[in-house]
Amino acid sequence: MARSRKIMRYMLLAVLAVVLTTSGVLRAQDPKIVSSGISMVGGDLETIDPGLAEASSQIEVINQIFVGLTAQDVVTAESGLGLASSYEVSEDGKTFTFTLMDNVPWVRYNAETDAVEEVTDESGAVRYVTADDVKYGMLRSLNPDTASPYSYVLAPYVVGATEYNAGEGSADDVAITVVDATTLEVTQPDAVPFAISIYGLWMARPVPQWTIEENGDAWTEPEFIYTNGPFALKEWAHDESITLVKNPFWPGSTTVPQAKLDEVTLRFLDPGVQFNEYLAGTIDAVQVPVEAIDQVKADATLSAEYVSGGNPCTYYIGFDNTEAPMDNAHLRRAFSFAIDRQSLVDNVTKRDETPAQWFVYPGLQAAPTLETNPDLGVKYDPELAKAELALALEELGLSDVSELPEIPYAYNDSSNHGAIAQAIQQMWTDTLGITVTLSPQDPTTYFSLLSEDAPLVYRAGWCQDYSDANNFDYDVFYSASSQNDTGFVDATYDEIVSKARTESDIDVRRDLYAQAEQILVVDKAAIAPTHWYTLNLLVKPGVERAPSVTGNEAYYLWDKS
Amino acid sequence: MGQYIVRRLLWMVLVLFLISVVTFLLMRSVPGGPFAREKRLPEATVALLNKKYNLDAPLWQQYTSYIGDIVIPTVTYGKIKPNAAENYLLNVPLPAMFGDEAVLRWANFGPTFKSRSRSVNDIFRENLPISFQLGLAALIIALAIGMPLGILSALKRNTIYDYLGMGTALMGVSFPVIITAPILQYFFGVQLKILPVSGWGDIQSMIMPALALGFVNAAIIARLTRASLLQILGEDYIRTARAKGLPERVVIIIHALKNSLIPVVTVVGPLFAALVTGTFVVETIFGIPGMGRFFVTSITGRDYPVIMGTILLYAFFLIVTNLLVDITYAWLDPRIRYD
Amino acid sequence: MATMEQTSNTPVIQISEKKKGESLWGESWKRLRRNRAAVIGGIIILLNIIAAIFAPVLAPQKFDRTNLPDNNATPAWVTQIFPNMKPKDQGGYVTISEKYPIGADNLGRDMLSRIIYGTQVSLLVAFIGPLVSIIVGLTVGMIAGYFGGATDNVLMRLVDLMYAFPTLLLIILMMTFFRTSFASPEPGTISYTLGQLDKETGGMILIFIGIGLTSWMQMARLVRGQVLSIRETEYVQAARALGATTPKIMISHILPNILGPLIVAETLTIPTYISYEAFLSFIGLGVNPPTPSWGSMISEGSKNISSYPNQAIFPAIALFLIMFAFNFLGDGLRDALDPRMRGRD
Repeated sequence: MARSRKIMRYMLLAVLAVVLTTSGVLRAQDPKIVSSGISMVGGDLETIDPGLAEASSQIEVINQIFVGLTAQDVVTAESGLGLASSYEVSEDGKTFTFTLMDNVPWVRYNAETDAVEEVTDESGAVRYVTADDVKYGMLRSLNPDTASPYSYVLAPYVVGATEYNAGEGSADDVAITVVDATTLEVTQPDAVPFAISIYGLWMARPVPQWTIEENGDAWTEPEFIYTNGPFALKEWAHDESITLVKNPFWPGSTTVPQAKLDEVTLRFLDPGVQFNEYLAGTIDAVQVPVEAIDQVKADATLSAEYVSGGNPCTYYIGFDNTEAPMDNAHLRRAFSFAIDRQSLVDNVTKRDETPAQWFVYPGLQAAPTLETNPDLGVKYDPELAKAELALALEELGLSDVSELPEIPYAYNDSSNHGAIAQAIQQMWTDTLGITVTLSPQDPTTYFSLLSEDAPLVYRAGWCQDYSDANNFDYDVFYSASSQNDTGFVDATYDEIVSKARTESDIDVRRDLYAQAEQILVVDKAAIAPTHWYTLNLLVKPGVERAPSVTGNEAYYLWDKS
Repeated sequence: MGQYIVRRLLWMVLVLFLISVVTFLLMRSVPGGPFAREKRLPEATVALLNKKYNLDAPLWQQYTSYIGDIVIPTVTYGKIKPNAAENYLLNVPLPAMFGDEAVLRWANFGPTFKSRSRSVNDIFRENLPISFQLGLAALIIALAIGMPLGILSALKRNTIYDYLGMGTALMGVSFPVIITAPILQYFFGVQLKILPVSGWGDIQSMIMPALALGFVNAAIIARLTRASLLQILGEDYIRTARAKGLPERVVIIIHALKNSLIPVVTVVGPLFAALVTGTFVVETIFGIPGMGRFFVTSITGRDYPVIMGTILLYAFFLIVTNLLVDITYAWLDPRIRYD
Repeated sequence: MATMEQTSNTPVIQISEKKKGESLWGESWKRLRRNRAAVIGGIIILLNIIAAIFAPVLAPQKFDRTNLPDNNATPAWVTQIFPNMKPKDQGGYVTISEKYPIGADNLGRDMLSRIIYGTQVSLLVAFIGPLVSIIVGLTVGMIAGYFGGATDNVLMRLVDLMYAFPTLLLIILMMTFFRTSFASPEPGTISYTLGQLDKETGGMILIFIGIGLTSWMQMARLVRGQVLSIRETEYVQAARALGATTPKIMISHILPNILGPLIVAETLTIPTYISYEAFLSFIGLGVNPPTPSWGSMISEGSKNISSYPNQAIFPAIALFLIMFAFNFLGDGLRDALDPRMRGRD
């Protein structure tokens, strides 16, 4: 009796041990897979070629699979190290010498073995990312034959690049020098302090030369692509989803560590469909469509899973400053002061945005914030609006608003631009007595229209390319900028933003940009900014999303429990 | 009959050619190009892109080179780099005597401007079968629901079955897809969670989209079947069959049904073509990677090769189905003869 | 079976009982009146017409009056119908307001008013679409049928060509073309006038012309068939012998006889036009905001279908009713005007 009981006890213990270990083993083997639809609205990605990427969804994928010299820290928005383990700046601030990590291999996903493997050359040696690869990537983006849409961002920060990009110079005159396999030198024409973040942007990333030469346009397909970042491309089901798998060979840097997730599937779904999928429990993270925000915030479960984040974009109403009657600054100011921005974000856009008092997104490097400059810029002031209107009518020689010509307000008919337009139209009717004519266009026609001859009143938005105020105030509204559809030209403004560009002291820069904004949105009222964007997401419990202020997700920082 | 088919096919070639000209002119006369972006592309880049896609050549030249790429076969030698602008539907390896690694290639519909690595042929190969399956499923549902409903209503004319059947059919016709699709999705996908909200791949994900599409057409088929069966039942030869003492079932099935199918078959042809191509709404709402979306997005995005490709495809489809319908006509009704 | 025998017997009796001066139209009208479903359809359409004409009086508020703080406000009774719409005071998300009989849309506009004004758009589509289609189809069909020969051949080939063209794509292409070419025309040109007209009507004229132009082929074929059969009848030949000119023959002799099937065919196509408009609104090529059309209201509402189903359901019901009505009326008209039904009550 006692003996059998002993045997029983040992057997029980053995079974318990087996169960515990296998369950422990099994749990440890549960792959961390996350599916997400964030930013993936709008159908299939046009490309994931770093030299050709334009849209933020494409850039988001590229950020996971290609790493550049520097990388943006998604939590602090500062520029950190990526491929480069260190860098030095010359005395005059114009030459950067980067030292690359020597152990970053090119990898690809092998569908047969279901594993990511390093690329080896004929002799069997691992092919690592070298300074030549970075130079090749940069030159390829600058090469006029590539027709890269973002080469114009990189070109001003490399000597000889603008000429090469315009087809007038040669690649040899571009100041990117390979000192040795792990050392790269780049020289810029002006001593711009934030150039360091430009060199890490997607168009300046290394790309695998051999597969591009062999496979042409198809090199980004899963069977031909080679990448170097924390994730590798596993599968791309066009029009459906794109799947990334963890790259164990990425050594990790402080800004871009090794990934914790094993696999990420990004699904191309419209906002309404994403939301329904989330409710049905078949996707882990989605962006919330504006129509559902009320419901989400009021629901006990959903509101707990709701995440609101920064999204460095500004929505603004543009005016054609060169055409009557909008060439009158008083009239523009009247329009700008008459917009009840708080009502707009409370009742129309509903994403907890902040009413924008100026153009540049606060929080970017050297940009003024509501803490540093609370009274800067423009606010809702109906009385002031009416006063400005009276001055405008006087200057124009009119006695009554009914004598004003018809003023069209054009917008592209996607998203909720229509709702915003109708709301603002009503505000102007109520406060100023002026009713603009709404003119919706399909996006393609609209954007062509803007570039050819801007309508008197139109809507626009600008999102950051890189995290510096220069991207907003200089790149967009400098008088000669191709993005400046308003026709706004002001010598003082140009002077201030040019100075701020090369100034090294951040506080001095911030003051300069504050002055520039005052001219842009108040004195000249070239545009009427309405609100600064936010990102509204739902994330399933158990999935740990890394907060991001850049408007892009960093899946290499996510985790799942 | 053979001669008739050949003539119809020749006619199809002519029609496709005319349609290609009209479409080309119409789509190029709409202002705006494929490269308009919210963040302006620098002019130099746009010029380069236009050059890359041959958009700066004179219009007639663009047209002839486009048609030439589709119609005229070429032979390539050796390995060629994959290139979205040179992707062919038909690739036939030739025996060695024609040259080293010679391949006969035919039907290049051009690249799509909206994706650097894909061509229109890729879209045909990958997205078209999905829309086809969806259209077929919707058609099957439409026939499976519509015909029995129509027959029942016709046989039990002016009874409660008739009113209910035609009432349901009328409801189906009056509820547009843009309302049935989201309702179905919300009800079965989100609330009850018994069907997938979106996606494509297995039978389950086919049910709701096919139902949303098929329901409207089931209604059309029901009404048509009922009307045509009623008309046939009033014909003299039915009276004769009945007078001869044939059982009612034989009368209905052998004599009446076959002929009442003619108007239905007439409708099925264009219906199917419309189903395959008119799936835009359903594909958007259910996230199905089919071709329906391309029909609309290519026009708003000025993706010229895709516009041409999809319109030519639709026309081809419609003409072929009409031809099949006419052949079926002749089989169904021996009185019809083609010369 | 009983019905069959009646058909063969009744005409004999009917003729002797016919009153003097009973015309084809009079008889058809009587038959139509007796068809209850068609009458109901007719009444619904009539109500819609009244709503469209007296909209400014009937609508409780202006259809374009936005009231931002009231966005998505809903009356209490609606939340009773849709169980997942919980009012704010019960832990839900819905703002309750009794100001709006069936609720407000996302900009705080009264939905009932917008539905009432929406009748104008739907009825305009229902009348202008067929008008355009009939004008073009009638002309082409009459010419093809009457003159025959090469003219007939060419015109019918043209019709075949148009048939093979995907109608919806054609509409989209045309809408894009019309919109963009009217974006900034020169005053004094036809484009400008049409553009002004378009703006006055809230972007509707273009849509209706576009929709009408896609369906004229069916009309043309129908007309041609009818003309072909009537052309050789004795009274037409007599008229020609008497020296009547071609246009006179076409208008006074042929036209009245084909009007019946024409009307029926068009009435049955009207629901298609209405659903085309709804689809165009769905993809953003419909009427300009803030002009309300049931189609655009449905497409806006279907985005919210999980949070505020009333915003899609009520316009959908309105759309459904009018399509229903036109279908019933069309069926009734077809039955009433069918010559084989003559003599059968």
